[in-house]
Amino acid sequence: MVLRDFRRKVKKQFADFLELPGDVMLDLPKITMFGDIKLYIENHRGIIEYSTSGVRVGVRDGELVVTGEGLLLRNVLPDEICVEGKIKTLSFSY
Amino acid sequence: MLLLRIMSCLQGYLVIHVTGDAPERFVNMAASRGIYLWDVEQLVNGTVIIKVRLKDVHALRHVARRTRCRFRIRQRSGLPFYAAVLRKRRALTLGAFLFLIILYSLSSVIWFIEVKGNEKLDSSYVLQAAAQAGLRRGALKWNINSGAVEEKIIEQLPLLSWSGVYIKGTRATIEVAERIVPDDEDRQPVHIVAKKTGVIKEVLVLNGSQAVQEGDTVSPGQVLISGEILPVVEEQPPGEEGKKPVENVEPVRFVHAMGIARARVWYEGYSEVSLVETGQRLTGRQKTRVSIKFKSKEIILSGNQNQNEPFAAYETKTFINKAAEWRNISLPVELITVKYFELADYRVERSRAEARRTAEEQAYAAAVEGMPADAVIQERWVEEVETGDSDKLARVKVVIETVEDIGEESHINGVSGS
Repeated sequence: MVLRDFRRKVKKQFADFLELPGDVMLDLPKITMFGDIKLYIENHRGIIEYSTSGVRVGVRDGELVVTGEGLLLRNVLPDEICVEGKIKTLSFSY
Repeated sequence: MLLLRIMSCLQGYLVIHVTGDAPERFVNMAASRGIYLWDVEQLVNGTVIIKVRLKDVHALRHVARRTRCRFRIRQRSGLPFYAAVLRKRRALTLGAFLFLIILYSLSSVIWFIEVKGNEKLDSSYVLQAAAQAGLRRGALKWNINSGAVEEKIIEQLPLLSWSGVYIKGTRATIEVAERIVPDDEDRQPVHIVAKKTGVIKEVLVLNGSQAVQEGDTVSPGQVLISGEILPVVEEQPPGEEGKKPVENVEPVRFVHAMGIARARVWYEGYSEVSLVETGQRLTGRQKTRVSIKFKSKEIILSGNQNQNEPFAAYETKTFINKAAEWRNISLPVELITVKYFELADYRVERSRAEARRTAEEQAYAAAVEGMPADAVIQERWVEEVETGDSDKLARVKVVIETVEDIGEESHINGVSGS
């Protein structure tokens, strides 16, 4: 655990030093949101749960929880998900 | 993304209903295997609707088995399925193709030929010449060589100096320019006669014989330069008075008289202006009433609803629009637009000098009205007519003297060209 944290810290400092984008170096999700109607999640780890009132998407070390009304998955690609509907909240849980 | 959708439509896609404990796993596994899914939507009863490409359905069976889900195909759309429908409905397909073929073949034929720019030459000659070069109604568009048609028209009709052929859609336009050919000189025998009353100032004879002298007063129709040339009677030299005159008497000759006859002409204008003027004139305010008349009923669409008069004093203009007649069928409907223009009383008081000036201007305008453009004004007199009621009216008479050519050609009756 300590070793993993240390490696992550080194990676982050390396990425900051070279000004590399986080999603490439650190394997972070890239989330693009258009108001409250559309949400793109790139670099995800699959859908954990899906219903019209909430979507849970796996990301590195945890999950991204989207709640709202009438949600639907407009696109499902291996590295990108597009969620449409009325989005209310967006939170990370580990 | 749009490109992906279009590809899906072309390749064909299915709408499937997925049921099971964990449709999420089904979606995940499909996505991780590179199967493109879209429009994933959950129904109230837990069923998930997914759209998937036709070619990926086979792979989905495996995914469904692994994730313990079941899916049923609910809808098939996209090009392959439409094609199947069309294969079943031969007549529809045939009709559609027939329609396209007819549309294409009819639009590749010249249906209308228009001739522009000809004034003297009749259009039928141009059309005839064009037809010889292949441009006729019903000819195929791509068989027509505009350049060749243009050349043919010029070759056939020497009266034309230029021609242009343009084809736009099913309409061909032939534009031509006519050569300007000088008119044949008029050789008819004519007199030069007076157009109006005047006093001759000068006569310049180019052809014919002078019939009036300077200072003569002439009236309209009077011969100024005669086209009739009398034989010259030779003066017999003195001492030979007893001899007979020469035998071969020349007959009277008629020529086309030419020349200029300038005369002094007078024009008169008269006008009266009252010092106090009353009347009605337009105020510029107007109202419009639009109504539809059906047989004898009139329905007012806009404007004042009741038939009351819109102004205390007004004049109206009525425009009636009727649908164009077609084969003796005319609709009993008329669109009637009535415009009301308001009138107001007015009263203008003028000073005597002002009234006189206005009257003079009006009288001058009246006098100038009948004057030809080439008339040269020599002199003018302004005269106030005294009538006793000069406190009410200003009466003015204007006389203008001009010098102008009053000659005009007049054919000599009963004589044809020499």
